[in-house]
Amino acid sequence: MSRSKHLPLTETVYYVLLALTEPAHGYLILQKIEELSRGGVRMAAGTLYGAIDNLLKLGWIGPVSSDDSRRKVYVITDKGMAMLRLDFERMTHMIDTTKQRLDL
Amino acid sequence: MRKYKFFVDLEKEERWLNEMARNGYVLERKSGMGYRFENSPAERAVIRIDYRMFRNGADFEDYRALFEDSGWTHIAGTRRSGAQYFKKSQAQEDEDIFSDVDSKAARYKRLSEMWGSLAASFIPLCAVLIMLGNIDPLALLTPADLYYTPELWEKSGAAFWRAFLFETPFALFRGAVFLALPLMVILSAFFSARAKRQYRNLRV
Repeated sequence: MSRSKHLPLTETVYYVLLALTEPAHGYLILQKIEELSRGGVRMAAGTLYGAIDNLLKLGWIGPVSSDDSRRKVYVITDKGMAMLRLDFERMTHMIDTTKQRLDL
Repeated sequence: MRKYKFFVDLEKEERWLNEMARNGYVLERKSGMGYRFENSPAERAVIRIDYRMFRNGADFEDYRALFEDSGWTHIAGTRRSGAQYFKKSQAQEDEDIFSDVDSKAARYKRLSEMWGSLAASFIPLCAVLIMLGNIDPLALLTPADLYYTPELWEKSGAAFWRAFLFETPFALFRGAVFLALPLMVILSAFFSARAKRQYRNLRV
């Protein structure tokens, strides 16, 4: 099976994409990730900024217009959504196989 | 309080600034090599340095807003300065602006790329000046070539010494100029390689 060289996604990237299924600015992304991971992932500002910069370059997220003049708002693109799905399927497969093998 | 220091290593600089903060001197402003501290012993501030340049003012504002929303005050750094200084008051000593190893390492990658492009931009400048005969770094190996007085080395006695001593300050200056640009290339390349090594070391 040939796979994208970007897979598997890092936890940081996965959560940023998941958070951006709704438009959000930087700090809101941090809060959403904390909420989505039930407090398990507390991302720092520099790490998130690097991830946003990277995902913009890859075209997996894009800017949307906003009323806030200081804070840019981003949302996931079709390409980003496709990557999120691929990684989700990869993980689902791993979970299913593990369940079978270990009789869980 | 004011202090003057020059750092190439972001980690050493960060360590020094945090040591100063623990002793009650919190970085207030930085311009060039000058660091200005304010005396605020009860602040328990943590200082962190990011390295990043921005294409436009809006990107820089967005970046600063994210850090400020997360509780980090932007102390120093401009859109094109690269180093960005942040502080958080009443913070745990291990509070950081990075929460994973990759992003912490990527800071050195950006630093390395900056030194690399600086070195790369000096090389053509150097080459052109050497080709035009404006600078001649090889003259440093044979210092006599730094003296331009015609037939200086054929003169003798008082006439030689007068001409020699008269031109020596000029020759030294010439040598310094010839050395400056190639030295910039070498230093930039060296700092680039150093930052790259730090990047690699952090990644494993």
